[in-house]
Amino acid sequence: MDRPIAYDKLAREERFVRMRAREVAELKVAQGLPPFPDLSSRESIKERVHGIMVGELQAMEGAGRSVCDFPDAPWDFTMDMARQVWDESRHVEIYLRLLEHLDGYAGEYPETTILWRCACAEDAAARVAGVNRGLEGLACDVFNQLVHIARKIGDPVLERAVDFVLADEITHVRMGSKWLTKLTEGDAERRRRAIEFQESIDERFNLGGVRREGDHDAVSISIATDVRRMAGFTEEEIERLIKTTQRSQVY
Amino acid sequence: MSQPLEGTFSAEHSARLLRQYRYVVERTMRALGGWIALTPELSAKLLMGRHVWDLAQHCDAFGQRLPELRSHAQVSEAANPAVATFMDSLEDAEGPDQTVERLVGVYVVLKPHLLATYRDHLAHANPVYEPPTRRILARCIDDEERHIAAGDTILKYLAAGPRVIDRVSARRRHLDGLLAAAGGVTGAGLPMREALDVAVGQAELVGQAELSDDGREFIRLERATGAWPIPADLEKAQRSFADALVAGDDTALARLLVPGLELETTAWALLRGTSYSHHVTVAFARLGHQRLVKTRLDGPSSSATVLARWVSSPEGWRIAALDVAGRDGVRPA
Repeated sequence: MDRPIAYDKLAREERFVRMRAREVAELKVAQGLPPFPDLSSRESIKERVHGIMVGELQAMEGAGRSVCDFPDAPWDFTMDMARQVWDESRHVEIYLRLLEHLDGYAGEYPETTILWRCACAEDAAARVAGVNRGLEGLACDVFNQLVHIARKIGDPVLERAVDFVLADEITHVRMGSKWLTKLTEGDAERRRRAIEFQESIDERFNLGGVRREGDHDAVSISIATDVRRMAGFTEEEIERLIKTTQRSQVY
Repeated sequence: MSQPLEGTFSAEHSARLLRQYRYVVERTMRALGGWIALTPELSAKLLMGRHVWDLAQHCDAFGQRLPELRSHAQVSEAANPAVATFMDSLEDAEGPDQTVERLVGVYVVLKPHLLATYRDHLAHANPVYEPPTRRILARCIDDEERHIAAGDTILKYLAAGPRVIDRVSARRRHLDGLLAAAGGVTGAGLPMREALDVAVGQAELVGQAELSDDGREFIRLERATGAWPIPADLEKAQRSFADALVAGDDTALARLLVPGLELETTAWALLRGTSYSHHVTVAFARLGHQRLVKTRLDGPSSSATVLARWVSSPEGWRIAALDVAGRDGVRPA
């Protein structure tokens, strides 16, 4: 088998429209719309849920590649990645059902592959740092806020389903922290590169200032500091993330 | 057995069998994990995603049992080089248009064989001193029955049509031959044909009651889109556009573009001159107030997928961007 595969080999049914994240954001801004769905309406929640569904799909594909690409990694690493594949496949199903619940459908909004590209890092340590800590950390922020919004608008289906997905994501971040440490033991340079990769992902997913510290109702993506602590991020890491969101200009 | 302590295997032989199972199960688990990204169909993706973790747990259980049988933990062993050849061949279906080949290898050839092998092992493992192995086998048998049923459901859905059925048969013949040449995953010969048939029959029954990896539900989720909510005026404009693409009518196409967008600067220049006989809309997405419509053009010798970004204007829907999303692309399964 090819290990790893080129990122452009990601296979999709024809009903999905794939576009660059930057292009999607620019075209929305040009129409006077926020670049990222702001959860201010049911339509906006549906668009956010679609984005999460696609993200879960890519997370399942990425974790699957980690099972495949690193046969020489410790066996327990493979076990954790295999467990994550299972979790993500259930998350895809959950979000497909939530899309139905919101009268939406798979393929209703363009798919961007920015998450998948991050999952194509060739080093296992970089991949868990980037995906499990960077992207799953972002998922903690997004899902924590979505649970809050669902509770506020009185949608127990959305609230309960996302609450359970959030619990899984916290577990995935913990896996990432564990394997970042174990895989880079005695190799400071490898650890430095992996953390640098994670920070580049954090920076990218600040989405031009969309992710910020603040109240769930006041910002598009609020940083879930309590959930991040529970997932094992240090105070220093949380503080650094908040600082980077104050200067991030890219999406 | 007349004497309860009479056994069929030595501890050493039992350990060897577990290492041999672990070899094929680990390779299958890694292949399924890797294939998810290479497989377009959502139903097949979900199927593979569900089963990677079960197989990892099977490997882990075999591997943890090994030191209890005076062997090293978490070690795999091919029964013979022909088993490795069989697995190499099973893994080689990596193309995006080879979902059916992937599913046949795992769900039609390997898993029914593994199920029959586990059943045979369980039937011969001593119930007094081999309960740890028997428990592992019982769990694997339960899972494999469910996997086979789910895989069979997805395969029947994806492999409809005579040409695909031919592919299924060819792939099955090829891999069955390699597996037989290897003497099965243990190298000791294939289990009795009757045991295989019973195993598959029981798997179908079990699968009907199972919910967590029900192939029918994966198919339903894949097909849930229904009819796209395309506004009537956009649908009319889209049909004119697609008809003009098939007809190669530059004048009609140019009329549908927003002012300032020249047909020559769009991706249509790449397709002009190619013969297409019909079109079908394959995707409809929202981008703010704009709409994205993907059209597949099929002809006698080639196909192409065109993506148009439509904007609403006082003159009606017009195309603001036109790209070729794919040429001679992959079709389902």
